[in-house]
Amino acid sequence: MAPHSPGTDQIDTLLWIGIVAAGLLMVAVTVALLYVVRRFRSERGVEPRQLLSGRRLQFRVGAVLTFFAAVLFVLGIVYTDNARERPTTGDAGLASLKGEPLKIKATGQQWLWRYDYPNGAFSYYKLVVPVDTAVELELLSTDVVHTWNVADLARKADAVPGKTNRVFFSADEEGSFKGDSATLSGQAYASMRTEVEAVSAEEYEEFLETQLKDIETAQDRVVDLIENGETP
Amino acid sequence: MSPSPRPELVTDGFPSKRPRWQQLATSADHKDVGQILICGALGFLFIALIELVLMRIQLLVPENTFLDPVSFNRMLSLYGASAIFFFALPLALGLFYYVTPLQIGARSTALPRLGQIGLGLWGAGAVVLYAGFTFTPSEAGVNPLPPLSEVAFLSNNGVDAWVTATGLATLGFLFLSINLVATLRTMRAPGLAWRRVPVFAWAAAVSAWLMVVVGPVLLAALTMLMIDRHYDGIFFADGAGGAPLLWQHLSWIFYTGSYMLILIFAFGAIAEIVATFARKPLFNRTVVMASLAAIAVIGTLAWIQNMLTAPIGIGWMYYGMLMALALIVPFGLVIFNLIATLAGGTLRMRAPLLFAIGAIFSISIGLAAEVCHSLVAAAWHLKNTTDATASTHFALIGGSVFGGFAALHYWFPKMTGRTMGESLARLSFWTILVGLLLGFVPLFLAGTEQGQVIDAYKYFDGTGVNAYNLIASIGVFILFIGIVLTIVNAITSRENGAEAGHDPWGGETLEWFTLSPPEAHNFDVLPDVRSPRPLRDIREAIGNRTRRSEQATARESQPVA
Repeated sequence: MAPHSPGTDQIDTLLWIGIVAAGLLMVAVTVALLYVVRRFRSERGVEPRQLLSGRRLQFRVGAVLTFFAAVLFVLGIVYTDNARERPTTGDAGLASLKGEPLKIKATGQQWLWRYDYPNGAFSYYKLVVPVDTAVELELLSTDVVHTWNVADLARKADAVPGKTNRVFFSADEEGSFKGDSATLSGQAYASMRTEVEAVSAEEYEEFLETQLKDIETAQDRVVDLIENGETP
Repeated sequence: MSPSPRPELVTDGFPSKRPRWQQLATSADHKDVGQILICGALGFLFIALIELVLMRIQLLVPENTFLDPVSFNRMLSLYGASAIFFFALPLALGLFYYVTPLQIGARSTALPRLGQIGLGLWGAGAVVLYAGFTFTPSEAGVNPLPPLSEVAFLSNNGVDAWVTATGLATLGFLFLSINLVATLRTMRAPGLAWRRVPVFAWAAAVSAWLMVVVGPVLLAALTMLMIDRHYDGIFFADGAGGAPLLWQHLSWIFYTGSYMLILIFAFGAIAEIVATFARKPLFNRTVVMASLAAIAVIGTLAWIQNMLTAPIGIGWMYYGMLMALALIVPFGLVIFNLIATLAGGTLRMRAPLLFAIGAIFSISIGLAAEVCHSLVAAAWHLKNTTDATASTHFALIGGSVFGGFAALHYWFPKMTGRTMGESLARLSFWTILVGLLLGFVPLFLAGTEQGQVIDAYKYFDGTGVNAYNLIASIGVFILFIGIVLTIVNAITSRENGAEAGHDPWGGETLEWFTLSPPEAHNFDVLPDVRSPRPLRDIREAIGNRTRRSEQATARESQPVA
C-alpha cells in the first residue's frame, strides 16, 4: 500500500501502529514461552514450589494490559477521526466546485463497477477524477454486497443494496491506481476489478465532454437503428 | 474362563449381546456420544483440509485454471462449514462432553437423551451438507451474505443445503450444550464447589452457556433466510423493508461467539495440561476462570469488528473497537498465567504439553494480529484481505488443531487405556508448526502489503503476491500432512498404543480417579472433594499414612532401653 490521499496516509500510520503493537505482543509471548521451556525442563528433578497465586503481580500485569489497550483505543480513535476528515480541493484541483466535493456515484453490480459523473456521463471499470480534488464517492449496489477497494486512495467500503456508503478521497498526484472488490459476490468476483485514473483538471473536463458526446452518439445510433426497423 | 480379579458384584446387568456399533449408535452415555463427536470431528478435519488443499492448488500460481470459479466457491463454502460446524465446534463440545462429567465426578449426565438427540442432529447436518454433492453445494462462501445467498442470485439448492446443514448442527450443539449446562450445574461431586471445579469443566460451562446464547441467534437468521428463499420473505431483501445488514449482525454474533468458544475450550484444556505437566497448580486459578467468562461476554459483544466497512455509524465502529481491544486484558491475563504456571515447574515435555505450548504460541500470534483488525482505520485497509485469513487461521488452528490435539493426546489414555505414539506425535507437531508458519505467514504479508483479497478464486500476475501464494500453498500441504499424521496416530494407537494404566500423567482431577476407559457408570466410589486438586489430596494423605506407619514401625523396632 502506497498512500496517495490524506485519508490513506492516516490509515497507513494507524496500520503501522497496529503492526508494532501486534509485533510487541507476539514477541513477548514467544520469548516468554521459549524462556520457560528451555529453563524449566524436568531434568532438574526437583518437586516445584506449589505457588497458587500472586495478587500483586496479577494486578500489575492487568494494569499494564489495560494501559496498553487504552493507549491503542485512543490512538485508534485519533487516527480514525483524522482518516475520516474530508479532504479539501487544492489549487491544482477542479476550480468550479467552490469548496464542495466532486460527487460521483459508484454502483457495484455483478461483476463491474459503474461510475456516474455529475454531467450525466458514465463509465465502466475505470473512474477518472481530477487530481488534488476532493471527491465524494457515493457507493451503491444494484444486486449483492460489493466492497469498493482502491487501497492507495481510500478506505475499503461496502456497497450494500438499499444503503448508501460514502468514501472521500483526493488523489495527490496524477496516475492510475488499481483496485478490486473485496467481498465474495459470485462467480466472477475475482475479476471484478477497477481502476482510478487521476488526471489534471483540464483533462478531466475534456474527458467528461468526450465521454458524454460518445454516449450520446452511441444512443442516437441505437435510436436510428430502431427507427429504421433494425435491431441494434 | 479365568477367574475375575474383581468382586463378583454385578452392577451393570447382563453384558449386552448387541454388537459394538449398535451399542454406540443407540447409546446416550456421554462417553459414547463424546467419542462419536470427536471421531466425526477428526474425520471432517480431514475432509476440510482436502478442500483447503484443493483451493490452495488453485492459488498456487496466478490465474490458474485448476478449479473453475464455481467449483472454487463451492470448495470455499464447504470448507468454512466443515471447519467450523463439523470440526472445531464438535471437537470442542465432544471433548467437553466426554471429559467434564468425569471431571466433576458425575455418574451420568443430567439429560442424556437430549445429548443423544443433539449428536443425531449434528450427524444429520453433516449428511445434508455433503449430500449437497449429489446436486450442487453452496456457492455463497464461508458466511453466505444476503443478497448473494438469496434465491434471486443463487437459485439452486446449494444454499438451502448449507442452511439446513448448519441449522441442524447448531441445533445439535444447542442440545448438547443444554445438557452440559444442566450436568455441570446439578451433578458435581460433594464438595466440588464452582471455585474448585477443574478449569476445563469451567470452560465447558462457560462455552455451553455461550452456545445457548449465540446458537439461537444463528438459528433465527437461518430461518429468516429460508423464509426469504422459499416463502417470499423480505427479511434481508432491500427495497421492500428488508435489511441485508441484519444478516451480517446476526451471523457475526454467532461466528464471533463460536470463535471465542473455540479459544475458551483450548485455554481450558491447556490450563489442565500445563498444570499437570509442570507439576504445579494453575497460577491464579480464579483470575483465569474469571477471564474465560469475560472472554465469552466481551468477545461476543465485539461482533461489530467484522463489519467495519459496512455502512454503519462510526459510533458502532468505535464500540466494536472498544470491545475488541478490551479483550486484550482477559486474553493477556490467561496467557500470562499459563506461562507463569510453566515457570518454576518441572516440565515433562510429553506430546500434550508440546501441543499445548504450540497452541499458546499460535493463538497469541492470531490474537495479536487481530489487534490490528480492531483499530478501525487499520481495518479499513486490512478487512477482507488475506491478512484476515491468516490471523483467523492462526487463532483457530491454534485453538482447535493445536489445542484440540493437546486435549486429544492428554485424554486419549482415559478414553482408550492407551497412549498415543510419542515419536509420531512429535513428528506431527513439528510438521504442523512448519506448515502453519509457511502456510499463513506469507498471507499476512500478502494482505498487509499488497491487499490481496480473500475468497477470490484467482489472483493476477504483477500484483506482487505470486511468491507469497506459492509458499502458502506449499505450507498448507505440509500442514495437511502434519495433521494427517496425528489422525493416523490416533487410529493406530487405539488398538496398538502402549498400555497407559489408569492415570498415566499423574493427573490431579477426578477423571483420573476412575478406570481407563471408564465403566459405563464412571465411578464406583467418589472421594470427598476439599480442594481443586482432590487426587493430590489423596496422594498426600496416603503419603502421610505411609510415613506415619513407617515411623511407627521404626519406633517399635527400636530396642527397649
